[in-house]
Amino acid sequence: MIYALIAILSVALVALIAWPLVSGRAPTDPDVAAQALRAAEDDLLRSLDAIREIDMDHRAGNLSDADFAELDREERARAVELMHRRDALRDEGPAS
Amino acid sequence: MSLFGRAALLLAFAAALYAVCAALWSRRPGQQRFMVSAERAVYGVAGVTTVAVVTMWTALVTDQFNIADVAGYSSRSLGTNYKITALWGSQAGSLLLWAWLLSLAAALVVATNRRRNRELLPVVIAVLMGIAVFFTSVLSFITSPFATLSPVPLDGRGLNPLLQNVYMQSHPPLLYIGYVGLAVPFAFAIAALVTRRLDTAWITSVRRWTILSWMFLGVGIILGSRWAYEELGWGGYWAWDPVENAALMPWLVATAFLHSVMVQERRGMLKIWNMVLVTLTFTLALFGTFLTRSGILSSVHAFGESTLGPYFLGLIVVVLVGAFALLITRLPLLRSQSSLESYVSREAVFLYNNLLLVGLAFAVFWGTIFPVLSEAVRGDKITVGQGFFDQVAGPIGLALLFLTGVGPLIPWRKASGAELRRRFGVPVIVALIVVIPALMVSSDGGHWWAAAALVLAAFTLTAIAGEFWRGMKARHQLDGVSWPGAVGQLFVRNRRRYGGYIVHVGIVLVIVGIACQGAFSSQGDLALAKGQQGTVSGYTFVNEGGTRARDDHKMSVGAALGVYDGPDRIATLNPGVDVFLAQMQRSSEVAIDSTPFRDVYVVLVGLTPDGVARISVFINPMMMWIWVGGLIIALGALVAVWPSRRSRAPATIAPGADGAAQA
Repeated sequence: MIYALIAILSVALVALIAWPLVSGRAPTDPDVAAQALRAAEDDLLRSLDAIREIDMDHRAGNLSDADFAELDREERARAVELMHRRDALRDEGPAS
Repeated sequence: MSLFGRAALLLAFAAALYAVCAALWSRRPGQQRFMVSAERAVYGVAGVTTVAVVTMWTALVTDQFNIADVAGYSSRSLGTNYKITALWGSQAGSLLLWAWLLSLAAALVVATNRRRNRELLPVVIAVLMGIAVFFTSVLSFITSPFATLSPVPLDGRGLNPLLQNVYMQSHPPLLYIGYVGLAVPFAFAIAALVTRRLDTAWITSVRRWTILSWMFLGVGIILGSRWAYEELGWGGYWAWDPVENAALMPWLVATAFLHSVMVQERRGMLKIWNMVLVTLTFTLALFGTFLTRSGILSSVHAFGESTLGPYFLGLIVVVLVGAFALLITRLPLLRSQSSLESYVSREAVFLYNNLLLVGLAFAVFWGTIFPVLSEAVRGDKITVGQGFFDQVAGPIGLALLFLTGVGPLIPWRKASGAELRRRFGVPVIVALIVVIPALMVSSDGGHWWAAAALVLAAFTLTAIAGEFWRGMKARHQLDGVSWPGAVGQLFVRNRRRYGGYIVHVGIVLVIVGIACQGAFSSQGDLALAKGQQGTVSGYTFVNEGGTRARDDHKMSVGAALGVYDGPDRIATLNPGVDVFLAQMQRSSEVAIDSTPFRDVYVVLVGLTPDGVARISVFINPMMMWIWVGGLIIALGALVAVWPSRRSRAPATIAPGADGAAQA
């Protein structure tokens, strides 16, 4: 009984692991475009969060006006660049 | 059952080894199917390790005393809940728990990264499964939890009575979740180094893992302290025991890492330092596991003599040498994007905080390891006493408390004098108000450091309250919401920051509790015949009678004590002593009356046949705040990691400072 259970467990594990190698189906290639789009969207969301945080820091008095202007300008420029990149990736093809 | 468990572990070892090879092979062009296979292998490792754990639990619950660990750590009379927790009572069982949690963490990493971090994931899998290979090989070939006995005993020896405590049921798993969780940021750091993707993406990917692991480790430490307080019966909760230190060290370095990543995210600085910290954190987690299992140090928490030390030491050396060699080859890619502009800036405060935390971790490491080094070099084992640790940790703890208050008040990059005066005004005034009462309560014992802790706590809590107030005001103005709504908006929009402030409140409370207990606790011994009364630190204790009982499991004696504060009866305490028959081991059942201001803690030392109760009484001020602080730390960490409802709808940017950047 124990040996049968061990055999079942072993076969199940080997089948689980080996199936992608022996199934004959082409492996799911990473959708490079979709991944790039997702990464750009993630970067953009992080950038937008950073803009909000810089604004909060300024309003809460954690940033001087001069520092706020500089940081805000830099982060907004980065966000605009990321938006362009995201839009370009969207135009290249349908994303999953 | 033993054979089945061993087979499951061998399968886990084989699958983990395969996952390492397949994941690395998949990095070659056109070998993507091996990545799919490696991911399935990770799930497979989690599955068969779960089978091994369930097998062990089944053996424990059904009293399979042919398995050595069941016979050694369980018994027929043991309650089912303790049979379940007996899994981590043994050395091999605790390693099985480590391997199981690691396999589950790895499976969770794979499941949550199906569509992201695809370039990093092969190396992440290789690192996590490499660690799994180590643990499953130790469990398969060196110390198996499924080792058998012959002849089979009729009953087991039972679980150590000291471990039969609700806090000990949760303390080890929580610590292990913390240890194991810290492997994930380490794996991502190695993956970032290998793939040369050294931007902040890897840090943001592991932020939640790091905070949660840090939280579990911290809560595990607090619960372990609570266990020591209730179970060991010496009136204290922390003794700088090597194994306690082993859990504290990675927590300290992880705390440094949590702060320094913010500097990297905001200013592009400290990239190398963060790599060092994440490596040290994981190495110290392994070191903690090594300390409890090597037998090189004696501790109430350790597993005693074993042969596992060299294997763990080997793993630690491999991790350190491998990570630092890789780091050196990538140094040119890790240059800072900006430099420190002022020593009075938020990033500078984070740097000071890091130096103090790492310095404290090093001091604790040195004090912990010194007995071993002294024995190796001079032949004498020179024990480092509690005094050394207190002398080092006290001032550093105060400095950290100060920085906890200062950090939020200082802007990024640089601060002008006018800004500092404006931001520091109220916290400094509040701190000054607290100076006189703090000095008054601490003057009789000369405990200036306790007074300093109270003053700094007032400063820091005011600074945090000020941050909440300014944040609410900004949200009220920005969003036009009501004041209560503004509080909600703070947490909705910036959980990480305000969760962090809640954590800081918890830290302040813990430090206040530690300082007050350390400075102002008092102790007295009484021997009271029935009806007799005695006084300790203004509290009167009346012996109202003793009890004796015996069952199959243990012999118990107890005393009923009426406790009076002046004329008022404030509690009835029932301290006792149990002697567990299977082990002939004595265990104190401490009685505690807790209020927010003090604990009355009573230990029954003995009960004579003629009814005289000999008791030790400890009056521990502000103890409750250590446990409350721990809860608040956990709450703050959960707030910080709670997922935000970020929309994936097309993002737009509102007009900025100059009104120019719109999209």
